[in-house]
Amino acid sequence: MALSLNDIAHLALQAGNLVHQSGGDTARTADTMTRAAQALGADHAHTLVSSLNLGLTISARGEQHTAFHKAPHMGVNFRTLTGVERALASLEAGRISVQAFTHLLDDMHTRPHYAPRWLIALVVGFACGGFAALFGGDLAAVVATTVGAGLGTWLRLRLAKAGYKPLVFAIATSALAAILTGVLARWLSATPDAALAASVLFLIPGVPLINGAADLLNGNYLNGTVRLTMSAVFVLGIGIGMSLALRVLT
Amino acid sequence: MSGWLVELWSIPAALGFAVLFNVPPRTLWLSCALALAGHGLRFGLVHAGSDIVLGTLVAALLIGFCAEWWSRRARQAAPVYAVCAAIPMVPGTYMYKAVQALLQLASVTEASQAQQHLVDAGYNIVKAAMILLALAIGIAAPALLWPKKGH
Repeated sequence: MALSLNDIAHLALQAGNLVHQSGGDTARTADTMTRAAQALGADHAHTLVSSLNLGLTISARGEQHTAFHKAPHMGVNFRTLTGVERALASLEAGRISVQAFTHLLDDMHTRPHYAPRWLIALVVGFACGGFAALFGGDLAAVVATTVGAGLGTWLRLRLAKAGYKPLVFAIATSALAAILTGVLARWLSATPDAALAASVLFLIPGVPLINGAADLLNGNYLNGTVRLTMSAVFVLGIGIGMSLALRVLT
Repeated sequence: MSGWLVELWSIPAALGFAVLFNVPPRTLWLSCALALAGHGLRFGLVHAGSDIVLGTLVAALLIGFCAEWWSRRARQAAPVYAVCAAIPMVPGTYMYKAVQALLQLASVTEASQAQQHLVDAGYNIVKAAMILLALAIGIAAPALLWPKKGH
C-alpha cells in the first residue's frame, strides 16, 4: 500500500522536528527529512529548515505536496537524536514497517531522561567540581562547587520546565550557584576563585555553539547566526548572574 | 593536586554534561575517554610551549576526528560523542576574570582609573572568545574535512 503524500510529508516533518529539537544541526535536520520522505515513497524532497519553521515539498507519481510545521525550541536530547537515526536507518533497510516507524516516532516524545532529575543535578554539580579542580582548585573548592552548581542545575531544570526563558533562568541559576559556592568556598577553601569560576559552567551552551559553528562552516549562515546568538544570550545571562553574585559576596 | 593527575578531572566534567544531554549510557565511556584525550593533549601542547588557543584547536580537532570516525561506524551524529568531550576545555577562568574586571570598571568614577580594568577585561574577553572559537571550529570541522563516500 502506498502512503498518501500527506502522510509522507507529515511523518518526514515529524522526524525532522524531533532532530531539530534534540540537538541536530541544520544539515542533519534537512537530511533526515529528505531521507524519511524518500524511504516512505517520495521521489523528490525539497526541505526548508529555519530556527522557527520546518517545511518540505515532496513529489511522487507526478503530484506535489507542500507542508510546513512550526519548529520546536532547539534543545538537547541525544537519546531522541540517536533514536530517530536508528529508526530511520531501520526503515531505509526495510527492517521495520511504516507503522512501526510511526510508533517509534510517536514514542520518542514520551521517553524520559535516562537519569532522574536529582541524579542529573548531582553529576552536573560534580562536573563543575571537576572544572574547579582543572582551574587549580583544592578539594574543598571541588566540594563547594559541587554543592553550589548541583543546586543551580536542579533549579535550572525546574525553571526550564516551568517555561522560563533562557536569559531569566541563566541569570537566576548562575547567581544562586555562584553565591552558594562563593560562601562555601570562602569559608572552606584556599582557592575560592577557582570554585567561583567553575560554579556557573553548567549553563555553558555547548551544543548551540558547536552546531552554530557547524552551520557556519556548512554555509547555513542564517541558522548558524541564530545558534551563536542563542549561545551569546546564555553567556550574557551567566555574566549578569555572576556579577550580581560577586556584588552580594563582597 | 598538580601536573598530569589533575587532567583526570576532565572525566567527571565530561560525564556530567553527557548525563545532562541524555547521551545513551552505552556510549558514555567514549565521551569521557575523548575528554581525557583532548584535555590531556592540550595540557601536553601548552607544556611543550604552544599557546593555549592553538593547543585548544589541535585538541578539539583530535576529539572531532575521533568522534566523526566513531559516528560513521555507529551511523549516528558526531556531536553526540564530541560535545561533552569538548566541554572540559571551556575557558571558564578567563570568562570569570572578564566579569570581575567589568564589575570593577562599573565602580570606577574617573576615566583615568579605568585603564587597567579595561585592559584586563579586553584581554580576558578576547582570550576566552578565541579559545571558544577554536573549540567550536575544531569540533565542527572534521565532518567537512573528511570526505563522505557515496553521497
